[in-house]
Amino acid sequence: MKKSYLQYLLAGAALVSLSHCSDNDNASPVNEELNTQVLLDFSANLPQAVYSDLSTKTSTLYDQVVALGTNGATDDELAATRTTWKQARQAWEQSEAFLFGPVSTKDIDPHIDTWPVNFNDLNAQLNSGAEFTADYINNLDDALKGFHPIEYLIFGEDGNKKAADLSERDMEYLTALALNLKTLTADANNSWKPSVSGNYHTIFTTAGTGNATYPTQLAAYQELVNAMAGICDEVANGKLDEPFTAQDPSLEESPFAQNSIIDFTNNIKGVQDVYLGKYSADGKGLEDIVRQYNLQLDSDIKLKIDNAINALGKITDPFGKAITTQAMQIETAMSSINDLKDILETELLPFVQQHTK
Amino acid sequence: MRKDKIFIQVLMVVGVIVSIYSCVEPDALNDSDYSEWLSGGSQTVFDNGAGGFSTAFPHLTAAREKVHSIGDGAFGQTFVTAPAPQNPGLGPIFNNVSCTSCHINDGRGKPPLPGEQLSSLLIRISIPGTDAHGGPNPVPGFGGQLQQRGVFGAQPEASVRIDYTEQSYTFADGTPYSLRFPTYTLENPYTTLPAGVMLSPRVAPPVFGLGLLEAVDEADILALADPDDRNDDGISGKPNYAWNVAEGKMTLGKFGWKAANPSLLQQSAGAYNEDMGITNFVFPHESATGQPQYDGRDDEYEVSDSLLYSVAFYIRTLGVPARRAADDAGVLQGKKLFTDGKCSQCHVPRLRTKTDVAFPEISNQVIFPYTDMLVHDMGPNLADNRPDFDASGVEWRTSPLWGIGLTRIVNGHQNFLHDGRARTLLEAIMWHGGEAEASKEFVRTLSQDDRDKLIKFLESL
Repeated sequence: MKKSYLQYLLAGAALVSLSHCSDNDNASPVNEELNTQVLLDFSANLPQAVYSDLSTKTSTLYDQVVALGTNGATDDELAATRTTWKQARQAWEQSEAFLFGPVSTKDIDPHIDTWPVNFNDLNAQLNSGAEFTADYINNLDDALKGFHPIEYLIFGEDGNKKAADLSERDMEYLTALALNLKTLTADANNSWKPSVSGNYHTIFTTAGTGNATYPTQLAAYQELVNAMAGICDEVANGKLDEPFTAQDPSLEESPFAQNSIIDFTNNIKGVQDVYLGKYSADGKGLEDIVRQYNLQLDSDIKLKIDNAINALGKITDPFGKAITTQAMQIETAMSSINDLKDILETELLPFVQQHTK
Repeated sequence: MRKDKIFIQVLMVVGVIVSIYSCVEPDALNDSDYSEWLSGGSQTVFDNGAGGFSTAFPHLTAAREKVHSIGDGAFGQTFVTAPAPQNPGLGPIFNNVSCTSCHINDGRGKPPLPGEQLSSLLIRISIPGTDAHGGPNPVPGFGGQLQQRGVFGAQPEASVRIDYTEQSYTFADGTPYSLRFPTYTLENPYTTLPAGVMLSPRVAPPVFGLGLLEAVDEADILALADPDDRNDDGISGKPNYAWNVAEGKMTLGKFGWKAANPSLLQQSAGAYNEDMGITNFVFPHESATGQPQYDGRDDEYEVSDSLLYSVAFYIRTLGVPARRAADDAGVLQGKKLFTDGKCSQCHVPRLRTKTDVAFPEISNQVIFPYTDMLVHDMGPNLADNRPDFDASGVEWRTSPLWGIGLTRIVNGHQNFLHDGRARTLLEAIMWHGGEAEASKEFVRTLSQDDRDKLIKFLESL
């Protein structure tokens, strides 16, 4: 979990707000109605909508994988599963901009998205006589299930797997993995559904109303902004920096699908989504609170989001290759994403501390 | 650039303190209490959300921040079966695949729900007697810790079944409460378990603030000890001394549920070795050595010295979350109850770290961890009946309480105590016995309103 510095700048606002100054003459204006609406729209348009989208796409992926096995796979059908895998990946990577709540605390994240893959054990599983029941897969280590083993099986090590290369055992394992991914993403989807008991929608959106998890709306807003800054840190200083600094393509996630830069871009788009309160539908977002009081900050944040997305777009080689061929583009992307992280931590966080309570 | 930043930070801190002084009711906190907001001294962090336990010290030099960051990466590394290009060496038998898979969000583990596998809880095992250094006597064929998972083809040592029995109690005001008593059964052992095996279940504890605790002067900890209860208050508190592998001698134990671990380096190295099967320079032999699962891969350390140091440094430099609502009237009343009930005799609120010129970030800080770092008799109901160096089968180290109110948001649960048997903070209190019997009884006789205030205080930590 990557976090960093500048906390003392934040200390000021945090402590002042914690100390409940009832007669604070300098209190900043707070639009409670808008602040409540932004939390509600966030829940509806981001976690609920994104996990629902993710769940639908992994369900499609499962159906396509089942069809591959029963029809005698064609290359076109295999290509369709790859497209769906990438679409599911898009929803998941965007959701990483709000990686808190049950997806984090119930370990759904590592169950579906662990890297590296344990290839030795994966091959041993394929060569074994094990029956890949739902329970069996569920009890496997995280490095043997989720997005990346599925990616390996449908793309192949060099990304050129043919349908004819899929063995019967590949299909059994792939089918079981796709079902497991479908189940776990359905859990993620249910975890924010207002109709499901114990859902995180209620916990998050009732912030500040006698809620033990989020005693104040400020706490919910801090969670949002910290999550946005957290994924920026992860992309710039983990996902991009580690393989680049080590000059080691084996550290790259999603190498088989050559999907890494798309993943990183979707992470930043997730940050943009949260800021705007928008995914498939557009609602009130942090943007609306910021625009009410500080138009300059709003345009600065939007500029830095655009810069980060554009800088990632300049990395045109597959990431595993780009770490040696496009060093300047990678450095620019890292610094642009770090710029975005900095403005979120040093300006947006103090801003929400001023304008929420 | 960086100096400016620090300068601004200092200004902000001054501003903060001034602003607190200017707006808090004058008699709400006494003078010495103001810094209680800053549980980790100058290494207090201000994220009270899901990242509350994962934030680096705010005052780290750039070079140290880099080491922290490398350790952070290593803490999250998933190990896989060797040979592999990345993170090889898992197992052959293990408890989990990465540091973070037990210490989720750098926080607290919990027992599995029905139908779930053991994940962030492990079982220490031993037979009567001691090892060469006075520590737990390993179980022949199993060692000192049960590994319930294995890489493909390696048979796990055993599986663990947990059963709970509910027992009902009542508070003095007639309100009922229930505690769940766990029993642990080892099933399907790969070979016969000798008779008389003692089990000690342990959940993964939170890993923030540990560098500050490590930096508390031993003399200060020993000054809190009263092993023979000479002051006759019913509370003893004794230091545990454990084998320090790096120093080759017995030193004061500080970490782990029974304070049987003398340093964060040894704690980290032991976790790599026993929990993941990752050899290192402190513990160079596979946990399965001599067992049929052993894969013969002792040829090189599976985690490098530098990464091991980085991981230990990472957990040394995770900051402590600031208090929330520390001046709330109910919280202050709860705090008084905490003191009146003598909870603070063991959960000592305030400690000071020693001066350390080589590591100014942790030097000479007033911190509020709510522990005395000593072991206490906690009574028969909590006993694991498994001695661990000088800590007997009924003794446990006083757990730090700082940050405990954020467990819900960081880890999504409220399972406390060494094996997560308590489902709420109040249950955790009501499990106390032994030296804490009178404190437990004090809480049992509180009104509902006062119980709520006590919990409110704990939630604010």
